[in-house]
Amino acid sequence: MRPCSFRAGLVILAASIALCGCTSRRVSLPRDVVVVSVEQQASWVRNFNPLTTATAPRWPTLAGIYEPLFVFNGITGKTIPWLATGSEWREGGRVLRLSTRSGVKWSDGRDFTASDVAFTFGLLKKFPALDRRAVWSFLDRVDVVSDSVVDFRFQRVFIPGADEVGAQQIVPQHTWKDVKDPITFANENPVATGPFTEIRTFQNQVYEVGRNPNYWQKGKPMIAALRFPAYPSNDRANMAMVFDEADWAGNFVPAIDRVYVSRAPKNHGYWFPPVGSMVFLYANTKRAPFDDPRVRKALSMAIDRDLLLDVALFHYSRAADATGLSDSYSPWRDSTAIAEGYWVKHDLVRASAMLDSAGFRKGPDGKRLLKNGTPWKYDVFVVSGWSDWVRAAQVIVRGLRELGIDANVRTYDFSAWFQRVQEGDFDLSLGWSFDGPTPYTFYRWLMSSSTVKPKGQASMGNWQRYGSDAADGALTAFERSSDPAEQKRLVSQMQHVFVAQAPAIPLYPGPSWAEYNMGRFDGFPSAKDPYADASPNKYDRGEVLLVLTNLRPKAGAR
Amino acid sequence: MSSAASGSGHGLGIWVEAIRNDRRATVGAIILVLFALVAAFGPLLAGDPQALVGMPLQAPSWHHLLGTTGQGQDVLAQLIVGTRVSLLVGFSVGLAVVFIGALVGVTAGFYGGRIDGLLSLLFNVFLVIPGLPLAIVIAAYLPSGPLTVALVLIVTGWAWNARVLRAQTLSLRQRDFVAAAIVTGESDIRIIWSEILPTMTSLLLSQLIGSTLYAIGAQVGLEFLGLGDVSAVTWGTNLYWAQNDSALLTGAWWTFAPTGICVALVGFALSMLNSGFDEISNPRLQLERAWRAHLERLGQRATRSTPVVRNHG
Amino acid sequence: MRFLLRRLGFYLVAAWVALTLNFFLPRLIPGDPATALFARFRGKLAPEAMQALRETFGLSNAPLWKQYLTYLSHALRGDFGISVAYFPSPVVKVIGSGLVWTVFLAGSAVLISFVLGTLLGIAAAWWRRGWADSVLPPLLVFIGSLPYFWLAMVALYILGFTLRWFPLGHAYADDLTPAWTWEFIADVVHHAALPVGSVVIATMGGWLLSMRNTMITVMGSDFVNLARAKGLAPDRVVLRYAARNALLPSVTSLGMALGFVLGGSLLTEVVFSYPGQGYLLVQAVRTQDYPLMQGIFLVITLAVLGANWLVDVVVLWLDPRIRDSAS
Repeated sequence: MRPCSFRAGLVILAASIALCGCTSRRVSLPRDVVVVSVEQQASWVRNFNPLTTATAPRWPTLAGIYEPLFVFNGITGKTIPWLATGSEWREGGRVLRLSTRSGVKWSDGRDFTASDVAFTFGLLKKFPALDRRAVWSFLDRVDVVSDSVVDFRFQRVFIPGADEVGAQQIVPQHTWKDVKDPITFANENPVATGPFTEIRTFQNQVYEVGRNPNYWQKGKPMIAALRFPAYPSNDRANMAMVFDEADWAGNFVPAIDRVYVSRAPKNHGYWFPPVGSMVFLYANTKRAPFDDPRVRKALSMAIDRDLLLDVALFHYSRAADATGLSDSYSPWRDSTAIAEGYWVKHDLVRASAMLDSAGFRKGPDGKRLLKNGTPWKYDVFVVSGWSDWVRAAQVIVRGLRELGIDANVRTYDFSAWFQRVQEGDFDLSLGWSFDGPTPYTFYRWLMSSSTVKPKGQASMGNWQRYGSDAADGALTAFERSSDPAEQKRLVSQMQHVFVAQAPAIPLYPGPSWAEYNMGRFDGFPSAKDPYADASPNKYDRGEVLLVLTNLRPKAGAR
Repeated sequence: MSSAASGSGHGLGIWVEAIRNDRRATVGAIILVLFALVAAFGPLLAGDPQALVGMPLQAPSWHHLLGTTGQGQDVLAQLIVGTRVSLLVGFSVGLAVVFIGALVGVTAGFYGGRIDGLLSLLFNVFLVIPGLPLAIVIAAYLPSGPLTVALVLIVTGWAWNARVLRAQTLSLRQRDFVAAAIVTGESDIRIIWSEILPTMTSLLLSQLIGSTLYAIGAQVGLEFLGLGDVSAVTWGTNLYWAQNDSALLTGAWWTFAPTGICVALVGFALSMLNSGFDEISNPRLQLERAWRAHLERLGQRATRSTPVVRNHG
Repeated sequence: MRFLLRRLGFYLVAAWVALTLNFFLPRLIPGDPATALFARFRGKLAPEAMQALRETFGLSNAPLWKQYLTYLSHALRGDFGISVAYFPSPVVKVIGSGLVWTVFLAGSAVLISFVLGTLLGIAAAWWRRGWADSVLPPLLVFIGSLPYFWLAMVALYILGFTLRWFPLGHAYADDLTPAWTWEFIADVVHHAALPVGSVVIATMGGWLLSMRNTMITVMGSDFVNLARAKGLAPDRVVLRYAARNALLPSVTSLGMALGFVLGGSLLTEVVFSYPGQGYLLVQAVRTQDYPLMQGIFLVITLAVLGANWLVDVVVLWLDPRIRDSAS
């Protein structure tokens, strides 16, 4: 090689590197295929098992492929008959009779019948690892009455159990009866009743699910397929939305108006209704001084929730009221209870006075003292990496310090944090709520004595370990009541107990994240058209099916 | 390689002199001293780096010279406070790695035979097992924190030094002055301590610099992955948080650019210092330099004298 | 041949050490995969379901040596257990496709950086103390001191996010099916440009310096002087005589560099969401998917060992002297 050719080689190399940069090609999206960005994974693993709890199956499994008996709409608070057409309590609330929809076909053309329903619940009984909602903790047996009627016999009267039964996705008996181990079964080619059932392509970077040719809602779905690129991180998924590579996502996006909407104000939309899980500051009520409701209320009043929302959440949510109920429980909310809840207003003077009157005075150095004279020093636990929580905790700590409390943020990684809160080994911690279609589940996990576990024993909820007799009465009565007016009265009662006792300190209802690109499709729910929750994350009770069956290609879109 | 240091005396003086004589070394030393000062005194002035100072993701302004993070903290304060832990971990890992490397390498080289065979096998195995993946796996099992990071880096980083020092010891062992010491019946430890180690000062120093360079880079990498204590403030965790808080998406370059540049500056300074030292610790390069200077004065083009084959192991 | 066999034996020992480390690490530290699963469900799972799941995972109570033997025999058959995060997929299946991309990324980065760096090193030695020789080395040392992943972040931010010249991640466009077509290959190259480029820029300095210094040394040696004295053209002397001989130390360290770059490219993959082992490994760590994590570590180690052996073959071919010294 001569030097000139050597030099020429360098030039060619440099040129070819530069060339790579100039041949950018844009991804061309098929006209009637919606690109959905859900589940942040580096590469896809083919799993469409709707029953397994061991790992998350691919998103469409519960959002388009398999369908539940009833769909719960968290925006309107209504329960919509889906694979079932109706329900009826018999034998004084001991038996729930469901009628199943006729004319529903599995995607392989066979008929859907009541025995598929009974078979599915039989699987959950046989394999407790599949019983995600613990329905067999209250069910006694499931009987097929006819092709379209199935009876659920309960061990005791437990009205809220109907919601859990109704949320169960149903699998076909004729393909699942031969599955040896339904826990590890990957179900690579699902047979189902949902609007999207045909796996058109499956690669580790992208897969596509096409429409069900036998879907029971005539003329639906109006889109041909759902397409899922694997985006390994929130950031990457958000970039895909920003650059129009994806049509629909359910991620937290920082400063969304600037980052997303401003890039294409006509097409880029989002809707973050505050209907998600409530974010609480939990105070361990088994430890002094947090066993005193006045202390919990004073802590609550020290928190500047407006600042907190600005700093932690770009003001995507609203400040919580003292009932702790998010907007998904709107029909249940009791305005008198809300009005009584003075302790969610930021008021340092009143908070300080309240602590003084509870016997916790400030020392000469301005430090708040326990009754035995030791200064208050507490850590607020958060999960490291959950930046909204970390920021929220910082605002909280700032407020508590103004009350003379030596408060600090303490971050743990998830499993360490989770173990501590579950075992009750904390003073103060941020945490989420446990929700269901009615406030029953919500309040049960906040103040039912039945959910209080001894310290050291892991508890799924009620981490603050608070039990109230008054709440127990209302909760037990609710379990036995199927009368809507009575139910409403009982939920009001629960709200009044909560407001009076402050078992936990509500901060803000978590928004339900939804970003969508209206350039190619119509029919996304929005604040103007709030027919359902727009978030793809709302598949647990089938809500996302409402959106999937309503999306349509935009006329004249490319 | 000959024992440059043993011939030309010990002490700090020679190193200071060397740094002053070599432009690259001077630049490196100045940068390092600046960072050391920041590490030592910066945190006193910077205030609490974790404190919420304002809205998150503010661009640099007079109020916050380097802007705020996604957590509403002051980037400059975090940078300054992070310097301390990062440099501390970097230098202590560097020291430990050289120490262990010397222990294993000199032992292997000095005693030879079966001990050598076994130790050589050990460090050669550690050399071929890819370091970062091993570090990640170990760190994942241990509780997160600077100590874990340091430990992991030591475990994955000592082998290279051991290998180089073994080779050096092996060649020294053949030398007359070592042989003489052995004949006079001095204890092994004494021979190693007062005959062998001093002749390797420059090599050890250069290894210390190289190991520190490695330690700082690897530490930042591990912490960037979230394997450090993410609630501590270090350079690596700063970058972790920048990534975690969507620095790219929000265009918040100020949350990751300064930290990267600082890491690079320290690395650059260490490399410069090392190449400066190379000139004095490597007598042939020194000779060549003198020869070249001489020829240049005569206005002739320099030709190379006897070759120095760099030991690439 | 004997040299290669001996090296092979050594790599087998190294592989065994890696396997053993892999076995004992998790057992030294308490923890159980079901707890990690708990984390993934954010408490959505009833405790009853959790208990049943724990049983599904069947944590063995056999004596340690027995576990070790089972582990070794499973590993030999390529069975690294079941992934927690991708349950019920076996680890091998999860790793499967990713390895190709990692090897491609790290391999091409190492090769390009080696070739470019070596050429520049020759150039620097050739025009010694010219502008290239005085500017390039310190510049590349500075760039080389930047953390790989940080360079990658900056490159992604400027060239990808702001200027939109390069895609933001992945190994190829989502709408393409892998195939040996020009379109696909071009797309893969386009996607690899930034990740590979950032590693190349960061590592090139090392090759340059190494090559330059050896070149300078070799150019002063007797046989080069002899060639020169014989009146051969200077460029011929430099390339045929000096460069060829100076190449050897660089090639020898190629194997080591591969392991090193592989580590670094793991981080780069994270930044570019490149579908290789790096991203998988980090995810496995974050989701505490220990079986997957260990499987990836082993696979990477074996890949590096294999590459080192290949380098040995090349060295043997380049330098016949080793054959003599080995036997």
